[in-house]
Amino acid sequence: MSDAGEFKTGLLKAIPSLRAFAVSLSHNSDKADDLVQETLVKAWDKQTSFQPGTNLKAWLFTILRNEFYSQMRKRGREVQDSEGTMTARLAVHPSQHGSLDLKDFRAALERLPEDQREAVVLIGASGFSYEEAAEICGCAVGTIKSRVSRARVRLQELLSIEGEGDYGPDAIAAQVMGSGAAA
Amino acid sequence: MSEYETRSASGKPRRDDPLGANSEIGKKLREYYDGLMSPDVPDRFTDLLSQLETAESQRKKAGGNE
Repeated sequence: MSDAGEFKTGLLKAIPSLRAFAVSLSHNSDKADDLVQETLVKAWDKQTSFQPGTNLKAWLFTILRNEFYSQMRKRGREVQDSEGTMTARLAVHPSQHGSLDLKDFRAALERLPEDQREAVVLIGASGFSYEEAAEICGCAVGTIKSRVSRARVRLQELLSIEGEGDYGPDAIAAQVMGSGAAA
Repeated sequence: MSEYETRSASGKPRRDDPLGANSEIGKKLREYYDGLMSPDVPDRFTDLLSQLETAESQRKKAGGNE
């Protein structure tokens, strides 16, 4: 099979991951798929700059992420999907129990600053190493580590507050006290 | 599932891993992300790749190749 054929197979294989990452960035499945489309076209155009044998998925994530931020800069910040139309449209595994929890989690995740959210998604869900995540985000490994750890603290705060309320006033106090530090 | 495992590319499990398999946040994060990972690739993407491939091979033929 030709290099181009292998490259195409690699792109196809990466599409589910790219779509998931795009949704986690944009919170909107239509925008996410447009982003994936742009990414595929860009990747195809610059395929000669991809070194076979290196991590194609990381390379594609870098393109997608750059595309996302350049679109954001162009458009200015749009109002985000606060109605949760995204939530309703996304397929959630039917076998999943605790879907209420998951909804809370998603809401908490969406409240994180973008840099923390993408760091936590790349490390905790997409399966990248800190080094790869740093390369994708164009920053230092230490920066990724600190973003992940701040994100984790913030998520814990948000989730204990948004839980079923059996945490009592301590959780609220912790959130009030923690919110300054987490900013 | 190996693709989504929380480990580094070199296969070494991470030591300082705040999102590890046993952390509640880590579990929820993967549950969230797995929910976004549809294995089905929409036609628009397979079509797009075929078009890109066709366009390229035509270009190569027309241009006498690199």
